[in-house]
Amino acid sequence: MPELEFVNLRKSYRSPSGEDLLALADFSIKLGGGRFVTVVGPSGCGKTTLLRMAAGLIPADHGEVRLDGAALTGPSPRMSMVFQAIGLMPWKTIEANVALGIQLQVHRPKLTAAEMDRVHATLALVGLKGFERYYPHQLSGGMQQRVGLARALVRQPEILLMDEPFGALDAQTRAVLQDELLSLWGRVNSTVLFITHDLDEAIYLSDTVVIMGRRPGRIKLVLEVKLPQPRYSYDARAEAEFARLRSIAWQSIKEEL
Amino acid sequence: MTDTTNLLPGTPPKNGKSIAAAIGGNQYLLGTLSVIVFLAIWQVVSMNVPPIILPAPAAVFTAFIGLTATGELVRATLQTIWPFAVGLVVAFVVGTVLGLVLGIFRPAARVLDPYIFVFWSIPNIAWLPLFIAWFGVGNLTLIVFVFVSAVFPQLLTVESGAKEADSFLVEVARSLGGTKREILHIVVLPSALPYIFAGLRIAVGRALVGIIVGQLLIVATGIGYMFQFYGETLSLAKYFAPLIVIAALAVLLNRGVNWAERALIPWKQHAFV
Repeated sequence: MPELEFVNLRKSYRSPSGEDLLALADFSIKLGGGRFVTVVGPSGCGKTTLLRMAAGLIPADHGEVRLDGAALTGPSPRMSMVFQAIGLMPWKTIEANVALGIQLQVHRPKLTAAEMDRVHATLALVGLKGFERYYPHQLSGGMQQRVGLARALVRQPEILLMDEPFGALDAQTRAVLQDELLSLWGRVNSTVLFITHDLDEAIYLSDTVVIMGRRPGRIKLVLEVKLPQPRYSYDARAEAEFARLRSIAWQSIKEEL
Repeated sequence: MTDTTNLLPGTPPKNGKSIAAAIGGNQYLLGTLSVIVFLAIWQVVSMNVPPIILPAPAAVFTAFIGLTATGELVRATLQTIWPFAVGLVVAFVVGTVLGLVLGIFRPAARVLDPYIFVFWSIPNIAWLPLFIAWFGVGNLTLIVFVFVSAVFPQLLTVESGAKEADSFLVEVARSLGGTKREILHIVVLPSALPYIFAGLRIAVGRALVGIIVGQLLIVATGIGYMFQFYGETLSLAKYFAPLIVIAALAVLLNRGVNWAERALIPWKQHAFV
């Protein structure tokens, strides 16, 4: 099982007026073991910065991200990231967009028959069988994010990074995709680091919810969600435990607003 | 066309379609109607001015048939088309390749952009005497002039297209592990493709202007020369024949570019609404 560790991460941005804004200060957590961890916090708390550092897209000013003890220097083939804005290549078919996940992982434009089978199996897994030849603009937002999910999962990632993946979707689609994500996660054995500002989403999905304070971003509260998985198999949102956690978390977040 | 169920207060329900909507629904009918109205207005105006100012449509048609029968129009068209085509094709290839290179390798752009901008800013026509001195009065000068007219719009449009590859898509490709070279293939080149066609559309127009100006002012061949000759001799009915050829050529080329664009950029169409 992989272990992803953030060690004393610090990151600041230069504002237009020239002063340094501290986005993240001495941030340390460790995750892994196939668990679902969600970081939740108000906008501007540095949670997206955190995820982009985890993905190896931006360097930390200080501290480091470690994957199984080794410092991360760039994007890792053992991880996949899912973006809120999805980022499908408009000129590639759905099939080609998902295949891209493997192509850039193995650095080989031509996939083997076994790899193509994996592409098709993953498309079937996210419910997009039959849409292989479509272009992204021919799909609804929810379907496009399924493609984004397939592109990430086809890499069989040990760690799945998700940056508010359902943030741009309507409430119904979002609820459906949350359940599908839990179902997929139950099958793929990936550790998930999920970012959201939606508290209900965080509690519903995760084993652990990390609540961040803003400016500079630091950990405020860590909640273990003991509700049994899979949560879509019963009405988890209606449980007393759900309401209790929600109330504690909300108190903590409210102080930051 | 769907009818909207109007729920605003005080608006009476509307029954049936307006005439404008009915005509607008059939684009062929509208196109034909437009041509008929245009010819009718032309006819009416030509009946009220001397034929030396504006010949009647029928006179133009007769002149067109006459010039085609003698072979003059066909010969002139061929004399125009081939230096035009050579200049345009070379401009397209050079402009596209150079545009991609400059758009992708920023240091190259920093070195060359100022020169390109200066050359682009000089009105094309100012080059013509120089080209005659260098290449003589002949097809080579025409080709070079067409090339210079068309290459800059192609180059600059493609360059800006390659520069403006979506930075988010670049980040997505990077997060998946893409190297610089892979990102070039997967993000930058495909996103420049629509710009190649946008550039070509402008380049075709400039190249047409180039060939006509060159033949009209200097080399005295082809369609451009027909404009000069029939214009100066005030044979206006005949003057319109090369005009029709040039218009047809321009429309044809534009259609061709559109067709190629649809064939090569399938992701730009058939949006589900």
